[in-house]
Amino acid sequence: MSSSHSPTRVRAASAATATYRRARPTTEEGPRYGVFASVAFHGLIVAAMFFTIQRNFDTPEDSNVVPVDLVTIADVTNVAPQAPPQPEMEKIEIPQPTLEAPPEPQMQAVEPAPEPPMPQFDVQKEVKPVEKPVEPKKTAAQNFDALLNKLTAAEKPVKNAKPAERVIPGIGSGNAMTANIADALKSQIYRCWSPPTGAPDARDLIADFVLNLNPDGTVAALRMAPGTLAASGNPYTRAAAEAASRAIYQCQPYRLPADRYNVWREINPLRFDPRQMMQQ
Amino acid sequence: MKRFLILLAAFVASWAALAAPPAHAALQVDVTQGVSQPLPIAIPDFVGDPQAGANIAGVVRADLERSGLFRPLDQKGFAERITNINTVPNFGSWRAITAQGLVTGQVTQQPDGRLRVDFRLWDVYGESQMLGLQFFTTPENWRRIAHMVSDAIYERITGEKGYFDTRVVFIAESGPAQKRVKRLAIMDQDGANPNFLTNGSYMVLTPRFNPTAQMIAYMSYISAKPRVYLFDIETGKQEMLGNFPNMTFSPRFSPDGNRVALTLETNGNSDIYVMDLRSRAIQRLTSDPGIDTAPSFSPDGRQIAFESDRGGSQQIYLMNVDGSGQRRISFGAGNNGTPVWSPRGDLLAFTKQQGGRFTLGVMRTDGSGERMISSGPHDEGPTWAPNGRVLMFSRISGGGANSQIWSIDVTGRNERRVLTPGSASDPAWSPLIQ
Repeated sequence: MSSSHSPTRVRAASAATATYRRARPTTEEGPRYGVFASVAFHGLIVAAMFFTIQRNFDTPEDSNVVPVDLVTIADVTNVAPQAPPQPEMEKIEIPQPTLEAPPEPQMQAVEPAPEPPMPQFDVQKEVKPVEKPVEPKKTAAQNFDALLNKLTAAEKPVKNAKPAERVIPGIGSGNAMTANIADALKSQIYRCWSPPTGAPDARDLIADFVLNLNPDGTVAALRMAPGTLAASGNPYTRAAAEAASRAIYQCQPYRLPADRYNVWREINPLRFDPRQMMQQ
Repeated sequence: MKRFLILLAAFVASWAALAAPPAHAALQVDVTQGVSQPLPIAIPDFVGDPQAGANIAGVVRADLERSGLFRPLDQKGFAERITNINTVPNFGSWRAITAQGLVTGQVTQQPDGRLRVDFRLWDVYGESQMLGLQFFTTPENWRRIAHMVSDAIYERITGEKGYFDTRVVFIAESGPAQKRVKRLAIMDQDGANPNFLTNGSYMVLTPRFNPTAQMIAYMSYISAKPRVYLFDIETGKQEMLGNFPNMTFSPRFSPDGNRVALTLETNGNSDIYVMDLRSRAIQRLTSDPGIDTAPSFSPDGRQIAFESDRGGSQQIYLMNVDGSGQRRISFGAGNNGTPVWSPRGDLLAFTKQQGGRFTLGVMRTDGSGERMISSGPHDEGPTWAPNGRVLMFSRISGGGANSQIWSIDVTGRNERRVLTPGSASDPAWSPLIQ
């Protein structure tokens, strides 16, 4: 007689159960999505770090060129102290290091440079409506490429630039408008700036500031840039920073176009570099 | 896969937000040209003792004005009268007269007879105190206190060490050209307190200070032979440095004060030797048949600059302090001599003779960057102030009959005469007085 407990059925039943209870293996065969994702994310992090940090690097100053004298062996032996002094000694072909022509002694006060003509800023009562540029939807990869291109692309000077309703970002965007304002500011500050010029290393005398101006051209806030603050333990740097700060306070209020206040409300960095004055 | 793409997009978007430049761009300005104007500074008479207060403030004003970097303003224009140096001044009134710095001071007699001098240096535009110091001394020493006040102000504002609390030793000349009387003399760097150290019965030349400023080495013809002598300023005693059969001259101390480099002449050949002052041992450094003279130590004591004509004309050479590594460094036109190493170590001052003119120049210690700083026509024998910024030199006129001491800034500016009792030459600047 057949019973429900026939061996075949039991085997089938237990096989089915066994299938149910079989634990899922921890490593699956098949496409390794996890590994790829991990590698991709790590790669992106590295790329992000690379690009972000690179943008914040300051270009190092050029080190001074070291003059090198090329002397042939024969000439060196000619200069031995034991050699008797003969008229021929004067013909030693030691190449002379180039000498700078001695600068004229600056006994008189420097004539002030002619003031650049005040740029004509037309205050337009009615601003023509500027079309908002339409942003096409971009995929993530295209965003990445676009940012890459923006970082490495050369700047194009824009003539007669008018500020759009949405301010286009970009440090040193290099349009004629900002260059004029920078010149106007420089021509008003230089009269008050008398830097200390005695330091053996002129790079010690460079001072950077962050200046915030009120709309009427007076100083709202002035502070040293972090680099200068860190270096102000050096007595020369401190003296240079104080001379610059005195100049900033003394020559206020600054006459700058009121309708472009957004451009000059903050100047960062305002750098004072006396090396040209010291001919170094 | 979809989840992966969403995460990736989110990641890139967040990175893009971080890496994007700020929406508002700040203007960048580079100021590279300014003016060279002395700093207008207001120094009213110090309060307390009226006579001493006026004297000290007067010396401070003169020191700072003479440096060429400050312009003390006339007291008559001061609106605010300072009576108490412990209260904050009314900066507006000082700004109104264009002062950028303000010095307020006070002189008080202490019960034990000493003089107490306090002063404060104020930043008029920053409206804050920059410096405040206090000195005690005997009343006769008030000039030194005034010079120390000047040094403190100078250093705080320019960043450079001061040089006002120093003395200058020189040769005071008098008498007709045929019978010149030369005496060793010493004075404060501003010309005050001149003192004669020798009586003029014998010739003296090229005095030089010992770094501790209490001893002077100089050349003298006491026994009709030129010799180097050491003169102790405090005791007035002098002694001969070595008894050599022939001439010795152009002495210069090493920076540690323990050795003297000098020139010894034997059989018509002049070479440079170094003598240890304690052991009196002498070491020869050059043995060239030419004339080697005018040695000058570097401030680190490792090198010596000197003058030699071994190449056919007077030029400047360097060597290590043991005599090795002798090499020429001056290649400019004319004859270049009397090299003097700056106490800052960065420059050499020297005298150039060209076309019958003598002018002062400076060059870097590798011989480059040569530039002339004085106007001549007969300037020679430079000496550095201890801060390596100012020089003094002899200016000779009237065919040698008249000689004056002049000072000049290393940039070539601020050439001015130093007042001396009569004709004077061969100045040597002391280090800062300890």
